[in-house]
Order: sequence, then C-alpha cells, then structure tokens
Amino acid sequence: MYFLFYFLLSGVYLGALYSMIALGIVIIYKSTKVFNFAQGHLLMVAVLLGATLSQIFGIIGGMVLTVAATALIALLLERLTLRPLIGQPLIAALLMTIALGYLIEGGSLMVWGEGLYKYPDLFPAEPISIGSIAIEQGVVWAFVVVAVGFAVFVLFYHKAVLGKAMRATAEDHQVSQSMGIRVTHIFSISWVIAAMLAYVASIFLGSFSGGHYLNSNLGLKAIPAVLVGGLDSITGAIVGGFIVGLLESLVTGYLSSELGEVIPFIVLLIVLLIKPYGLFGLVRIERI
Amino acid sequence: MTRPAGIFDVRYQQDIAIVRTKPQWVILGLFLLFLLVFPKLFPSRYLLNIINIIMIMTISVHGLNILTGFAGQISAGHAAFMGVGAYACASFMTFWGLSFWLSLPLAGLTAGLVGILFGLPSLRLKGFYLAMATIAAQFIITAFFLHFKPEIFGGGSGMSLKPIRLGNIVFDTQDNLYYMIMPFAVIMTYFAQNLVRSRMGRAFVAIRDNDLAAEIMGISLFGYKLRAFFIGCFFAGISGSLYIAFMRTIRPDQFSLMDSIWMLGIVIIGGMGSILGGILGTIFIKLLDEFVLVLTPFLGSVLPRELASRISASMALVAFGLVVVLFLILEPRGLAHRWEILKGRFRHWPFTYGH
Repeated sequence: MYFLFYFLLSGVYLGALYSMIALGIVIIYKSTKVFNFAQGHLLMVAVLLGATLSQIFGIIGGMVLTVAATALIALLLERLTLRPLIGQPLIAALLMTIALGYLIEGGSLMVWGEGLYKYPDLFPAEPISIGSIAIEQGVVWAFVVVAVGFAVFVLFYHKAVLGKAMRATAEDHQVSQSMGIRVTHIFSISWVIAAMLAYVASIFLGSFSGGHYLNSNLGLKAIPAVLVGGLDSITGAIVGGFIVGLLESLVTGYLSSELGEVIPFIVLLIVLLIKPYGLFGLVRIERI
Repeated sequence: MTRPAGIFDVRYQQDIAIVRTKPQWVILGLFLLFLLVFPKLFPSRYLLNIINIIMIMTISVHGLNILTGFAGQISAGHAAFMGVGAYACASFMTFWGLSFWLSLPLAGLTAGLVGILFGLPSLRLKGFYLAMATIAAQFIITAFFLHFKPEIFGGGSGMSLKPIRLGNIVFDTQDNLYYMIMPFAVIMTYFAQNLVRSRMGRAFVAIRDNDLAAEIMGISLFGYKLRAFFIGCFFAGISGSLYIAFMRTIRPDQFSLMDSIWMLGIVIIGGMGSILGGILGTIFIKLLDEFVLVLTPFLGSVLPRELASRISASMALVAFGLVVVLFLILEPRGLAHRWEILKGRFRHWPFTYGH
C-alpha cells in the first residue's frame, strides 16, 4: 500500500511534466499544424539556462532572463526555420523539428557539457504529512500548476479574442487571414506560449532532478502523451500526460523498469490502431 | 529527364528504359569496371571501410526511399527494421546452423514480414499518425532485442558471428568484404531502379501523390501500402545482414531512433523519390561524418582540452542537424535535383536556356 502510494506520487510528478510538454506541443500543433519534436529540447534549454542564470543573477533576475531567452529562442526557431516550410510536404516540417532538436541538443552539450545543473531551492524541503504518508511539496505544486494551467488555457481559448483567433487559425489559415487575423503573428505567439510552458516545466525539473542535456528525452515520452489524448485537444494533452506518467511509474515499480520505458509506446500503438485521433481529439472522418 | 537532341522514344520499352543511349551504356560499363577494380586502385583500408559502410547504408536507404520517397509512407523506424534483419541473420546462423548465403535472403524476408506487421496501421493511419506508429515500432523493436530472451539475443551486449566464408574465401579483410558487399549493392540498386519504373513503382507514386485518386484508378491501397512496407523493410533486412557480416557483432543500440532519423535525413538530402539521390545522400552524410571525425583531433590541438572534448562530443549532432535544416530550407529537392541541374548546364553549355 505504501509503495503503491509512492509510485502514484512519482507518476503524478512525471505526468505533470509530460502534460506540460504535451500542452506545448498541442498549442503549436493547433495553430501551425507542425508537430514540435523539439519541445523537449526547449525544456532542456530552459532548465540549463534557468539553473545557470539564477546562479549569476539571483532567483528573480534569473527567472526573468530565462523567460526572455527561451521565448527568443522559440521565436527565432519559428521565424527562421519553420516559416520557410509553409506549404511544403509533411515530412519537411517533421524532419525540421527533429533536426532542430539535434541542433539544440548538440549546442547545449557544447555550452554546458555533461554536468547536472540544479535550480536554487524554491520549494520548502519539509514534506506535507497526511497520517503516515509524506508528500513532497513540489509534487503538489506541480499538480496545482498543471490544473491551473489547464483552466487558464481553456478559458483563454474560449473567451479571449487572441485565443479565438488562434482557434480560427487552427481551422483554416486562408479563411482566418481573410477575416483580418495575422496568421504569422499567431504562429509566433503559439511558439512563445509553448516556450513559456517549457519554462514552467523546467522549474520543476530543475528543482527536483536537475537539468542535464539528456532531459530532451522527456520530449520523446510526451509524444505518446499527446497522441493518446488527441493531437488537437488541450484536455487530451493533460489527461494523456497523466495517463502516460502514471502508467510508466506503476509499470516500472511493479513489473520492470525495462517495460516501463517501452509501455508508453505500446499504448501509443494500441491507441493509434483503435482510436487514431486519441481520446479527446477532433475526429476527422477520412476513409482511406 | 532530358535527353540529347535527336533521341526519340517511339516504343514504350524505350520510354521506360533505364539506360537509353550508347554513351550511357559505355559509362555504365566503365563505372562497373571501376567498382570491380576499385580496391586494387586504392588499396587503403580506411577508404575501403568507408566505402563498405556507404554501400551497406545505401541498400537500406533505397528501401526507405521506396517506402517514404516513392510510396509516401513516412517511416521513422527504418534502423529498427535493419536491426531485425541483422538479428534474424545472426539467429538463423547461430541457432539453425544455416549458411550466411541462405540466412541473408531469409533475414530479408523476416524483416519484410515484420515490416508488414508494423505497416498494418498504415491502413488506418495517414501521414503524421503513421510516422508516430513507426516511431513506436522503433522503440518496441529495440526494446525487444534488448530485453527479450537474453540467452538468444544477448541483451545489451548483442550477438556476434565468425567471419563469413564462401568455399575457401574468408571475408575478414576490408578488401574481401568489399567484393562481398559490392555485388549486393549493385544488384539492390538495380532492383530499386527497376522497381520504381514498373507498375508497382508507379502505383506507389500514385498513392503518394493522392491516395484517393489512386484508389479510384483501381490501385488497391491495402495491397500496395503493405507491399511498399514489405519491399522497404526487405531492403533494410538485406542491409542489416550485410551489416552484421561486416561488423561481425551487433548491439541493440546500433539501431536507435537517431539512426532512423539519420536515414530519413539522408533521403531528404539526397532527394526524395530518386534512387540516385539515395546514393548521393549516403555518400554526402558519411563523408560529413568522417570530416567531423577528422576535425576532432585538430580541434583538440587548438582549443583547451575541456572545450575541445565538449565540442567533439556534440559536433556530429550539430553538423547533422545543421545540414538537414539547411537542405530543407535551401534545397528541399536534394542533391539529385542539383545533379540534374548540373547535367543540364553541361548539356546546354555555352547557351543559358534549359535551367
């Protein structure tokens, strides 16, 4: 029983991370129809930048600078590499984000090396105790942040003008352009929002396990999370992230760590076969 | 394709012929002769090693090119299918005691069948979703070799073989291996080039360009997509078998997602839907790799040690990523297209039309 609880907790933590990465991927996909394989790499850069900058400029200064730097990187990526590919076949954008990922990974390895970089302590160290069970405060915070983020994004997409414009862009680029929406701005804004999400995830990652250039692998695990939930659904990204995180944690704990590494992809294959558009994705009926 | 003035196709056979003119026959003959005497002309082990790897990779890339470039089914798990071929070949030889020459086609078939299995989602999934399914296949297959039955597949340390023999010949030197791999590379390249001009190749292109229209034209999507997967993975299997004959030992981490992406990158750089492009792309990327390897000791002598080791560790990643990014933006049609332009220039010189 105690172990079950422990595995559930670490699953929730992993799930929160996956959810935040998946949310970034979904937001970019919704408006630009590009699946951003480099989202995990953005997270990795954010962790490394955040840890380094907060050492130099203090916590607040480091935060501000990291947010600015991550947003700038995302803006540049969108403007310089993905915008020329509009109208190209699918594989071009697919391979582009993967290649960008490698580029970022190589660049980070060049700048930071293979060391582990930690954030300064942001969360109180003493755990919350309920009876005999101790819950780390950070896990609670991660869960709360994801829940709040979910609410904010649902409201944003349904109430705010910008959110509506983004949904319109997702529907049809040409029509929304003729309705006076600057589609290119929407593209840039989506990438910046995704970069912000990567930054938020990086706070948790950096405070608990620390940043390392191989953190980009988290992005790979977020792929099943996105697709299980549905490629264009915010609810799906959150739910999918938690499903994959919990499943991975439980399988790793009870069966074997080897299976835990693969189980997200097995689930992905099954979901793709049975319900290709995911649990919450918009079903576009297309008989082939 | 442009031809010299005065060459007309009056029969269908002429129209689809691979080699059309007498000079082309001469050039082809000379090229094959060159391939045959290459190790005698350049008896450098280093060079032959590179050429051998290029030839093995070329076979695999042809498979991916048929699957992705011609049939339009994006596969991000091609290295895993190559691994299936390699492991199947090693298992047939170790546990069934078959000779390599029998295991090789069997391994190709095995990889093809596994390819069909993971190609089944292509009946329901298109484009992006299919690419995701093949990524899943990549992870599942490598995890299978890593963890399933370590007494057969050897877990993380993999499988190894003795040098391949044919009669008295032992294929253990780069020179001998060259003569073993080269015929396969030539035959498989011919097979690929021959396939794409056939009914099946044209069906693949039709499916890639518009699957709905293709089906209305009477092409069975079900059959042809699976055939594309089978053929693509068959090539990968043959290539994998040659790979284990060449390396003599294989591990699961030699067939990682990175390698699959590497192959997709080669197809893009060479030019999608061009057999020549597959060859050019492989040569380009392999030479780039070698260049990075050569550059590393040089950097170590110029820069401080800490920085140099970081740069050399990340150099391959950065170089590959940068090349793919630049090709996608500047020349999405790849090296094959550049080659056509170059030929056109040469043909029309000193006039400026035609390019």
